[in-house]
Amino acid sequence: MTSLKKTKFEKFIFTVGDMVIFFKDFVVCCFTRPFYYHKFIEQMVRLGIDSITITAIIGFVAGLIMTLEFGHGLAKFGGTLYVPAIVSLSIVREMSPILTSLLIAGRIGSGITAEIGSMNVTEQVDAIRALGTSPIRVLVVPKVLATMLSLPLLTIMASFLGILSGMLIANLEFGISPGFFLNKALQSVKFPDLIGGFIKSFVFSIIISVTACYRGFKTRDGTTGVGNSTTWVVVTASIGILFADFFLSKILILTLHKYR
Amino acid sequence: MSDTLLTIEHLAKSFGENTIHRDINLKLKKHEMLGLLGNSGTGKSVLLRSIIGLERIDSGKIYYQDKRIDNLVEDELFPVRTKISYAFQNGALFDSINIFENIAYPLFEHTKLTFTEITAKVENMLALVGLEGKTTLMPSDLSGGMRKRVGLARSIILNPDVVLYDEPTAGLDPVNTENILNIMQKMKETGTAGIFVTHDIPAAVKVCDRIVIIDKGIIAYEGTPDDLMSSDNEIVNRFFKDHNDEYAKGKA
Repeated sequence: MTSLKKTKFEKFIFTVGDMVIFFKDFVVCCFTRPFYYHKFIEQMVRLGIDSITITAIIGFVAGLIMTLEFGHGLAKFGGTLYVPAIVSLSIVREMSPILTSLLIAGRIGSGITAEIGSMNVTEQVDAIRALGTSPIRVLVVPKVLATMLSLPLLTIMASFLGILSGMLIANLEFGISPGFFLNKALQSVKFPDLIGGFIKSFVFSIIISVTACYRGFKTRDGTTGVGNSTTWVVVTASIGILFADFFLSKILILTLHKYR
Repeated sequence: MSDTLLTIEHLAKSFGENTIHRDINLKLKKHEMLGLLGNSGTGKSVLLRSIIGLERIDSGKIYYQDKRIDNLVEDELFPVRTKISYAFQNGALFDSINIFENIAYPLFEHTKLTFTEITAKVENMLALVGLEGKTTLMPSDLSGGMRKRVGLARSIILNPDVVLYDEPTAGLDPVNTENILNIMQKMKETGTAGIFVTHDIPAAVKVCDRIVIIDKGIIAYEGTPDDLMSSDNEIVNRFFKDHNDEYAKGKA
């Protein structure tokens, strides 16, 4: 039993170390030629633009639910007027980065792993290498950079729509005027809050895309392996996002949020 | 200047506890087609993959011309892979792009040819493999034989010095087998050397200048196709028996 645990621990350490080397290779490829611009644009469309609708829905619905819950909760203590500030701050600092990232981990993360994993088990990744090109440059760099650019932008959009839907439901449910809601939201949400949300989603995008690409390359055992890999990525990336969120929140509270 | 293109010395390769190659020694001369025969699991494909660095060897040396290549890092291997190409068993076509883009991929990556020149080259190559006008089809639209031919076209479009053919006729009907062998023959006539991994003895006899049999991690037999057919070597006889009883009877 002890030796089994040790083996699993060793495996974990090996995987983490392997991912760090993989990330280093990615960084080196980002700053050396050739760079596949057309593939980057293609991935921006696939990973970013194609995710707009689902992200918009998530952001909008999150704003509705949070306003409704906070509104009714605070109404018991006569604190309905605090709803705009609380909702706006929670959306910008926490809910949008987390919800958007978890959604993207499911949608994009699994998609990247399935694509690279399928290519791996059908020797297409070997073919890229055999034809004298680097799979990291061809497959990983465009996907990771596109995720790093699109996820923060999607998070900003989700935040905006969340506040908008909060404003809507606050007016319909609690009679808070849109002008008052917007005024309070703008007073509460400071620049460091926006930057904090942006930093979080940027870090989450790296966790999602690097984990997904790495696992894609490690996929074995045919279609079953592809299925296992996609599940592993969604679970691992989601756990990684939640842990990273805790530590990032702590760091941001100690640094950036001091300047609010 | 030596007429040897590839030299393999004392190559050993294992996967965990499973030893695949113990001591492989092999030379490939310019313009030569070398047949590599052996039972399943003897590491024929692993040997091809080791030559171009898709698998790292445990010990031994591999030279391309006079340059040692087994110790090169991945980026240093890229230029070597334009000179030694690999024709995958199932084509390994990129399924997200069409036939034209698949075949043109090495040209876009390694040459400064214009789009018009690339188009012309791809069309010539498609004519060579008997697939004229199929440029816009996707890999999923092709039969197994067509996929192999497209894969072959992609692997030879840069005019490499050596082509590593990994069971190019496996699972094909006689007509498609004949097509593939004709392409290999044409490549040989243009001076391109090759290593032909196969279980298909008649195919190997037809196109190869020399044939080796790999068994228990070493090169267990080496000779010309005529030598092979007339050999009383125990390993040769066993291989014939295992793979082609009818052929073995004919031989007898």
